[in-house]
Amino acid sequence: MTDQAVSELKSRAIRPKLSRDDWVMRGFILAIGAWLVVTLLLPLYSMLSKSLESKDGAFVGLGNYIEYFSTPALFYSINNSFFIAIVSTLITISLATVFAFILARSCIPGKAVFKGIALLPLLAPSLLPGISFVYLFGRQGVLKGLLGDYSIYGPIGIVMGEVFYTFPHALMILIAAFSIADARMYEAAVALRTSRIRTFFTVTLPGIKYGLISAIFVVFTLVITDFGIPKVIGGQYNVLATDIYKQVIGQQNFEMGAVVSVVLLIPAILAFAVDRFVQRKQVAMLTARAVPYEPKPHALLDKIFFVYCLIISLMIVGIIGMAGFASFVSFWPYNLELSLKNYNFDLMDGGGWSSFYNSLKMAAYTAVFGTIVIFTGAYMVEKANGFKIVRGIIQFLCMIPMAVPGMVLGLAYIFFFNSPSNPLGFIYGTMPILVIVTIAHFYTVSHLTAMTALKQIDPEFETVSASLKVPFFRTFLRVTVPVCMPAILDISIYLFVNAMTTVSAVIFLYSSDTTLASVAALNMDDAGDVAPAAAMCMVIVATSATVRVLHALLTRGLSRRTQAWRQR
Amino acid sequence: MNLVSSESLEKQYLQIRNLTKIFGDFAALKDVSLDVFEGEFVCFLGPSGCGKTTLLRAIAGLDIQTQGTVEQEGRDVSTLPAAERDFGIVFQSYALFPNLTVADNVGYGLVNMKADKAKVSARVEELLSLVGLSDQGDKHPAQLSGGQQQRVALARALAMSPGLLLLDEPLSALDAKVRVHLRHEMKELQRRLGVTTIMVTHDQEEALTMADRIVVMNKGVIEQVGTPEEIYRHPASLFVAEFVGTMNFIDAGRGPKGEVVLGDLTLELSPREEAKLNGGDVITCVRPEDIKVRNVDENTVNSFPVTVTDLEFLGSFYRATLNNDTLLNHEIFGDFSINLVRDRDIQIGNTIRVALPVNRLHIFRKGK
Ligand SMILES: Nc1ncnc2c1ncn2[C@@H]1O[C@H](COP(=O)(O)OP(=O)(O)OP(=O)(O)O)[C@@H](O)[C@H]1O
Ligand SMILES: [Mg+2]
Repeated sequence: MTDQAVSELKSRAIRPKLSRDDWVMRGFILAIGAWLVVTLLLPLYSMLSKSLESKDGAFVGLGNYIEYFSTPALFYSINNSFFIAIVSTLITISLATVFAFILARSCIPGKAVFKGIALLPLLAPSLLPGISFVYLFGRQGVLKGLLGDYSIYGPIGIVMGEVFYTFPHALMILIAAFSIADARMYEAAVALRTSRIRTFFTVTLPGIKYGLISAIFVVFTLVITDFGIPKVIGGQYNVLATDIYKQVIGQQNFEMGAVVSVVLLIPAILAFAVDRFVQRKQVAMLTARAVPYEPKPHALLDKIFFVYCLIISLMIVGIIGMAGFASFVSFWPYNLELSLKNYNFDLMDGGGWSSFYNSLKMAAYTAVFGTIVIFTGAYMVEKANGFKIVRGIIQFLCMIPMAVPGMVLGLAYIFFFNSPSNPLGFIYGTMPILVIVTIAHFYTVSHLTAMTALKQIDPEFETVSASLKVPFFRTFLRVTVPVCMPAILDISIYLFVNAMTTVSAVIFLYSSDTTLASVAALNMDDAGDVAPAAAMCMVIVATSATVRVLHALLTRGLSRRTQAWRQR
Repeated sequence: MNLVSSESLEKQYLQIRNLTKIFGDFAALKDVSLDVFEGEFVCFLGPSGCGKTTLLRAIAGLDIQTQGTVEQEGRDVSTLPAAERDFGIVFQSYALFPNLTVADNVGYGLVNMKADKAKVSARVEELLSLVGLSDQGDKHPAQLSGGQQQRVALARALAMSPGLLLLDEPLSALDAKVRVHLRHEMKELQRRLGVTTIMVTHDQEEALTMADRIVVMNKGVIEQVGTPEEIYRHPASLFVAEFVGTMNFIDAGRGPKGEVVLGDLTLELSPREEAKLNGGDVITCVRPEDIKVRNVDENTVNSFPVTVTDLEFLGSFYRATLNNDTLLNHEIFGDFSINLVRDRDIQIGNTIRVALPVNRLHIFRKGK
């Protein structure tokens, strides 16, 4: 058939009649699309347009940007941000690559424990390492001597904090990359009598290439957009993320805040684009994988590896432990008697214990509603017929949050929801806006988890239902949801823990009725109440850890009931 | 396209007219027309990617065609979505709901019809016994063997008593023995229920043993429609001859009067083949089992001497490799019974005289 004949035929293509299911699905898809537009696209758009306006709302083109780039102090922040991001990324990636290699490719004992410890930082707000370093290396720090004449307040402290905070993120990606090795390549290397070192450089490293690139960009983005650590331990050392905070909270200069946000968006988006590109290649490698690699013991190397993991784990435990210990000390460093005084949050500024209850509520709402919205959305996008363009647009929108720093999103929410002309303005300053911004902030990873689970179930379930005249939503509730329950629980716990620990997305949006634990910790630290801040961080860590354990138990219990079919 | 006349007395169930399906700029189906009669078992047979599944999904309304019409029981269903058509379907993966029991899988559509509980479970019982799984209702699909899972899928597809049963390679995920067994079982069941059935397969043996009629497809078009015997005995195209069964292909030339010649041997053809002739070189085809040895002498038509260059024992018969450098452009195969090989002392190196029976010889134009 000629091209012309084909396009001629297509132009006269018959129009299929849509079934009721098709209409319902399209309704849902439009609803999800509208949700993403309102909670993501429009706020970002208002931020962009705000950056082009003067204080009184007149359009000034690039005026604000010109002003920004001609203010040396602000301009230095770009340099600082990149410096911190590059150095932290180098250190984190080096440490995490070795750690991941050991966990995936060696026979040391206690791997599960090491992995568990390495993932602990995920349970803490990012200001925790900052606070901990104040106690370790600050003016009255226990290990102050180690730093010599250098001060922890500044780049050194920031980099150390960032390494602690980003380590588990890099580790997870790298472990995955190491685990997809093809054993046959190693057998070939052994057969050719290649030395271990040479094998490492010619087989292992190329094998994790994509995982490594992905980890580099993820860490880079996390660092350059992080706000908690430089805020707590940065001292006079300014970075982009703290500049936004200072412009907005300190000087009420929203326009300049918007400009810095846009500047911060650029490296984040670039890093994100590279990461997505690389992820696609990694998937292709995964499907082509062959024989899984079985590590073999090696007396000497395994000892070295063990010591390495031990040191890193001790450091992580030490950092969390230091904050924990400090939180129980009556008055550092003068009265080392242990007490619960610092947990008496109601006596301090920052919201007291009610901020903790607010956080719990916010995390629970985020987990429940977020999971429902995100999983349903992913289902509709994955399983609907036709409507290709809209589905493509939604897929794209779902990827945006990954590239948007929380602080930028929070600021964008101010511009959008606090505008007098917005009919949705009534949610400003309430609990719902905190829940909504948190769902938006953590949308991408949750969406990808849901998509992965949905792609694994038989694509013909909906077809079979249609042939049996059963509406799709019955099959969704009776089959798809139970079958995907493990992924659904994963999404909800991810949302819960992140909602507990996040600072950046909510810092501009809480009100006196809706103070949150992580924000309270930040504010107490700001006011000089460092020990209570440490105590609040510990409460958050304990909560996240408890919920994780509950989640593990629940998953096991549920899988015994709803996943009984998995066992023969 | 030939509609088989002997069948036209029966009631037409499905009328497919000028179906074209385009993916991007690739035509997966090109102007396909076909009739299916009530109660008939039709197989779509063809190599991978020829458009069998595409045609089946168009019939079901799962992937509606770009052009053309589908009429089911006199009703034009061309644009209707799957939910508004009348069919049951079994996929290669079975698509059983893993978290539901076998009984719940089978009764999945019944429950929705608001039939009362007792009726539903009686119907489920009936269906399960129909497929021989009466005592397995409480198990989950993962606890069943592949063959049992296939039968559950079949029971589920039959639950709503559909007028049309669609099967997309329903047996291909099973191992060979189970497959052969289930072939008979499914065919038997289909005959008993009298449900019009279309099955997609790329396994010709499956098609030949199960189908009332076979639709041979290639590159988005129908090459031939006919009973298994017709397809096997009288392939309508070089493609069908090559795709179904084993076939010898011998390049032939043309004599001065247009006769078909192998070297200096003029071939005698049946009138049926004779009618297909026009100018140009042709390929003659003959199945290995049709090559004749008994009662062949110098005077037998289409006979010539060959040397046996190889003899392969295949259990119930021998496959001999035969050569004649002057007449044949390459070696051909002959399938000989064990008796024949013993009686005629057929051995490697021996020369025997074989004949290509007139009514078993097919010719096709070369370079099709
Ligand atoms: N959704 C689609 N988009 C693009 N091309 C498609 C799509 N579905 C099928 N095709 C193409 O149409 C052609 C026919 O596909 P179809 O699935 O009907 O083949 P088939 O005969 O069932 O093959 P198999 O025996 O491998 O199942 C193939 O070339 C295939 O690549
Ligand atoms: Mg197919």
